[in-house]
Amino acid sequence: MITSGIFLHPATWFIVGALLLPFAAKFKLQKALLIAVPVLAFIQIYALPADFGHVQYLGFDLIFGHKDKLSFVFLHVFTLMAVIGCIYGLKVEETEQHIAAFLYVAGSLGVTLAGDYLTIFIFWELMAFASTFLIWFRKRKRSIEAGYRYLMVHVAGGLILLAGIFLRYQNVHDLSFDRILVEGATMADYFILVGFALNAAVPPIHAWLPDAYPEATVAGAVFMCAFTTKTAVYVLARAFPGFEILMWAGAAMTLYGAGYATIENDGRRILAYHIISQVGYMVCAVGIGTEMAINGACAHAYAHILYKALLFMGVGAVLHQTGKSRLSELGGLYKYMPITLVLTVIGGISISGFPLTSGFVSKSMIVEAAGEHHQLGVMLMLLAAAVGTFLSVGLKLPYFIWYGGRQSDFEAQDPSWNMQLGMGIAAFMCIFIGCNPDYLYNMLPYAVEYQPYFGYHVSESLQMFAFTGLGFYFMIKKLTPKRFPASEHLTAHLEATDHGSHHAGPLMNLDFDWFYRKGALLFMWMAKNPLDALNELVSNVYQSIGCRMTMAIAKGSSWFDWHGIDGAIDGSARGVVSLGDKTRMHVTGNLQHYIGASVAALFVILAIVIFT
Amino acid sequence: MGKIIEFMYRRKALFRWIFFGMLGAVVLYDFTVPRPHHPHFAGDSFYGFWSIWGLVICLAMIIFWKWLAHGFLERDEDYYDN
Repeated sequence: MITSGIFLHPATWFIVGALLLPFAAKFKLQKALLIAVPVLAFIQIYALPADFGHVQYLGFDLIFGHKDKLSFVFLHVFTLMAVIGCIYGLKVEETEQHIAAFLYVAGSLGVTLAGDYLTIFIFWELMAFASTFLIWFRKRKRSIEAGYRYLMVHVAGGLILLAGIFLRYQNVHDLSFDRILVEGATMADYFILVGFALNAAVPPIHAWLPDAYPEATVAGAVFMCAFTTKTAVYVLARAFPGFEILMWAGAAMTLYGAGYATIENDGRRILAYHIISQVGYMVCAVGIGTEMAINGACAHAYAHILYKALLFMGVGAVLHQTGKSRLSELGGLYKYMPITLVLTVIGGISISGFPLTSGFVSKSMIVEAAGEHHQLGVMLMLLAAAVGTFLSVGLKLPYFIWYGGRQSDFEAQDPSWNMQLGMGIAAFMCIFIGCNPDYLYNMLPYAVEYQPYFGYHVSESLQMFAFTGLGFYFMIKKLTPKRFPASEHLTAHLEATDHGSHHAGPLMNLDFDWFYRKGALLFMWMAKNPLDALNELVSNVYQSIGCRMTMAIAKGSSWFDWHGIDGAIDGSARGVVSLGDKTRMHVTGNLQHYIGASVAALFVILAIVIFT
Repeated sequence: MGKIIEFMYRRKALFRWIFFGMLGAVVLYDFTVPRPHHPHFAGDSFYGFWSIWGLVICLAMIIFWKWLAHGFLERDEDYYDN
């Protein structure tokens, strides 16, 4: 029963796919595998039974497969997104990037199907580790540093989640993953809530997102923008509907993200802040907790994954073709990348919620749910954020990349066919859902009575967007990102301007990551000596225990034909080693060993759990 | 596509007037649609309310966040490297 259950689980396809990728690359089948796996998984989810994959382990009842309407809508969009992302990244040669992406998707699907907290935790950590590699594989110093911060924050979040799970087990001896009632919520549940909220990027524990996503690889960011936050929305929607604190936090998120996006200069960072803004709508809907609100959260997650991925693909294509993503360095690209322009603008109007696009039919459900819940303040916050969204993603972003801004000559052109196809599918879905809302509404967990297309609603949206356009027209000078002299003139510029009174280079904006990037330095300085001692102790422990564990794993795996694999993964191994060398320059201590050991341990546990 | 934008760019003034015309049209359109049966608040029964909303929020957002950035948040991009 269990062995047949394994291959029912769509995550299995991605894990097996990840293991096969090095061989496939060797036999020039990488592209075929990259398409086959997500397509199979996409078909597979229709055939899933409601309950499967129950495993008894150490007295715990692990449930790997629990499908209902709430999980199905997320499974559907996750697997669809995996298809789109794999098409977009088809020409990425580095096999290891695809392996990371596959494991990341597997983690996300695993969480979505999990029926208990331990299973959630296993896949939750798989997501965190796998996605970190999507940042590291960009291989720039900044990416490697950002990747470490990302991993550290997620490890901390994972520990808070684990603490909540332990406390919960102590309290109620029940780890089944189900709705938690506000009245009965204990400290344990709030720990779990914080663990989930960290992945949903709820301020003030959101800064990992705009810090890391703009540093990821072009294709990696497309995956990342889809899975981590929306998996968090799913678990929040299942466990914490009706928690009023989420409603206010979500409403604040919508404005916070939209606000930062107004002042940011890097294209992908603008989009990253808009993930916070859009996920805010979903978190807010979960906090409202009515049937219509939960429907809205699911619908918006579905629509959001597609248009946000489309935007990341568009701006990623610009970065891929020109090497630039700062608005202050771009402009006039309409001559060179017109198709990317059109597709990105479709993403931009979808995220804003124009009539006939997916955002219109999903976002308005949440706004309407807030209104019906008599939360006027929340409703107006959401509507204000919609203005900010159109301003920064619908107008500012495409304007300064493709139209105004720097009019220098680029040697750029529209990206390769597969990248265009990925964007094309996402753009098609944005319009398709906007024109056929019932396609989406029929998938939602509760029956939908809402109808988005009526005169007043259309008029409301058209007015809001038209006059946001007027505001943009008035303020275009104020929004123009500051230009900076090219580096050869920099010295002259510095001498000409009184030092310090003018900024010498592109600017960034402080956010809450200051506390662990600068604040932590101060803390580290004070705690240096005791920490050093602790570090030494930990490395000693690691060397005596960790090495033995590694040896045990090696022995246990000796049945595997290492020589066979050796040849196949030689290339990727070399890549990993060279990346390891690069990372080693930036870190001290045994951090990468810990990570390696944790990942290995995770897989061993996973393997034991599944195959016994 | 590039040519279309080029074409529009050369007729900037015309398209500016088309844009202003559209603004007028959407406000006029608001007078033709029925008001909601259950207005959530006063703004729902006020013709052209969402036009004012769009403009005011847009301007307020730009001014507030630019003020916040210039006053407090802005740093050189290598701020964390030093």
